[in-house]
Amino acid sequence: MGLKDITNQFLHTIITIVLILLGWQILSMLLQTTAFPPPGKALKSFTTLLYSDILTHLQISLYRVGVSLVVAAILGIPLGLFLGKNKRADELSAPFLYLTFPIPKVVFLPIFLILLGIGNLSKIVMITLIVFYQILVTTRDAARNVQHEYVLSVQSLKASNWELYRHVYFPACLPNILTSLKLGLGTAMAVLFLVETYATREGIGYFIMNSWSSLAYDKMFAGIIAMSLMGFLLYLLLDTCEKIFCSWVNP
Amino acid sequence: MNKIDLETEKIREPKDYLEIESLKVTYNQRGQETLALENVNLTLPEASIGAIIGPSGCGKSTLLNVVAGLNPSYEGKVFLNGKTPQESNEVALILQEYGLLPWKTVWDNVRLGLQIKGVSKGEAAERTEEILTQLGLLQLRKRFPIQLSGGQRQRVAIARSLVLKPELLLMDEPFSSLDALTREEMQELVLKVWQENGLTILLITHNIEEAVFLGHKIFTMSPCPGNILEELTNPLAGDHEARGKVEFLELTNYLRQNLRGRE
Ligand SMILES: Nc1ncnc2c1ncn2[C@@H]1O[C@H](COP(=O)(O)OP(=O)(O)OP(=O)(O)O)[C@@H](O)[C@H]1O
Ligand SMILES: [Mg+2]
Repeated sequence: MGLKDITNQFLHTIITIVLILLGWQILSMLLQTTAFPPPGKALKSFTTLLYSDILTHLQISLYRVGVSLVVAAILGIPLGLFLGKNKRADELSAPFLYLTFPIPKVVFLPIFLILLGIGNLSKIVMITLIVFYQILVTTRDAARNVQHEYVLSVQSLKASNWELYRHVYFPACLPNILTSLKLGLGTAMAVLFLVETYATREGIGYFIMNSWSSLAYDKMFAGIIAMSLMGFLLYLLLDTCEKIFCSWVNP
Repeated sequence: MNKIDLETEKIREPKDYLEIESLKVTYNQRGQETLALENVNLTLPEASIGAIIGPSGCGKSTLLNVVAGLNPSYEGKVFLNGKTPQESNEVALILQEYGLLPWKTVWDNVRLGLQIKGVSKGEAAERTEEILTQLGLLQLRKRFPIQLSGGQRQRVAIARSLVLKPELLLMDEPFSSLDALTREEMQELVLKVWQENGLTILLITHNIEEAVFLGHKIFTMSPCPGNILEELTNPLAGDHEARGKVEFLELTNYLRQNLRGRE
């Protein structure tokens, strides 16, 4: 990527942000309610709160989402690759995954709260479980579709199984894995919000709902901005990984 | 399966590098059995080029895959210099679609074999650079396969195999997707590589002229299930003037009729 592309992309991002803020401003002027403050007011409250408790809440949320994503990836990617590569294991596990995949796992939240307590653990397990399924199924399907030619090509070098995973299956599936992580991130943020509105006094989800119930709409919007920024930064991180490690897709 | 028979090992003539006897291959897919090869017998002398021609689907790729050690469930005898395909470390295969990994650069694709064989980093880099220079690919080393022309990809595939210094090189329709000019250039390259490295080469082709230009031995195959119909010794192989000669025309015509008659 040349310097010109980078400046272009930067300009594009700036213009998009300005347009979003403009739309927000217009909407708040039309609605004329304290529940939807203009961006200026919300941003001001965001910056003043930044040095108080909002950062602590953000930190806790980031920890919950981060750990969940990492654990889901560590479990989901290898298992997905293994199932995609090994027909027998795939055939054995497919009905189970097929039946359990469509269940909205979030309905198990009450059970997790009872079993694992109201601390971080139940929240992390909940988010991890949901994201894990997404990563697992995407990775497995990608591994199933790896072109046989690439496998033969590396097998003909008398490669071991481990080397096949390392040089063929993992890199071949990486673009799909990163896409599933990005989608998983979106899901994780949504589930995070939900789990943080129950039985907790920590986290950005709690912060938002608490501000809402005490009618502090500026504060509430500051929380929304903080949560959006967190999602955006995590997305940017995954996007950068894709640019670095999957440059072969669009060289 | 296919243990070396010590008796036959002793009486084997030393000059045949590849020996195939009564080879039979069946594919079993979802309970359906396909007989791909039956009773294939073939020998290829050391440091010569063998060319296989046959109709599409007759089992040519299957045969090559067995020799490359990719299909351990064959029946019959296959020996590379006395070793089974699974034991031999001296064989390299160039696949029909080149088999270059799209996520690795030219450099990493060529180096991969050395990496897997456990060659030290320094030596691997040295050998990779040497072979890329030899094939005029060094400026392209940072590119991905997608950024190469067909001829360049073919060159990389050859470099990838030669860097392993194999004794037997297997090529599955190496030039079928190249234009006529690049194709001739690549045929010359194969001859040069063969002369310089003293390899044994077994290649598959759809092109009769190519078989006559390159193959010291020409094998014709029957349609499915494939076996060897005829084995010809070709005195014209590697002769640059051959294409203009009467014998060349006669031989190609003979082969063409032979193949067409059976199709
Ligand atoms: N993995 C497989 N499973 C089942 N059948 C197969 C498999 N691979 C090949 N076959 C069958 O075996 C036969 C021989 O296939 P092969 O690929 O060896 O032919 P080929 O001579 O190389 O053809 P082409 O010239 O088109 O490349 C075909 O009938 C094919 O359908
Ligand atoms: Mg073939």
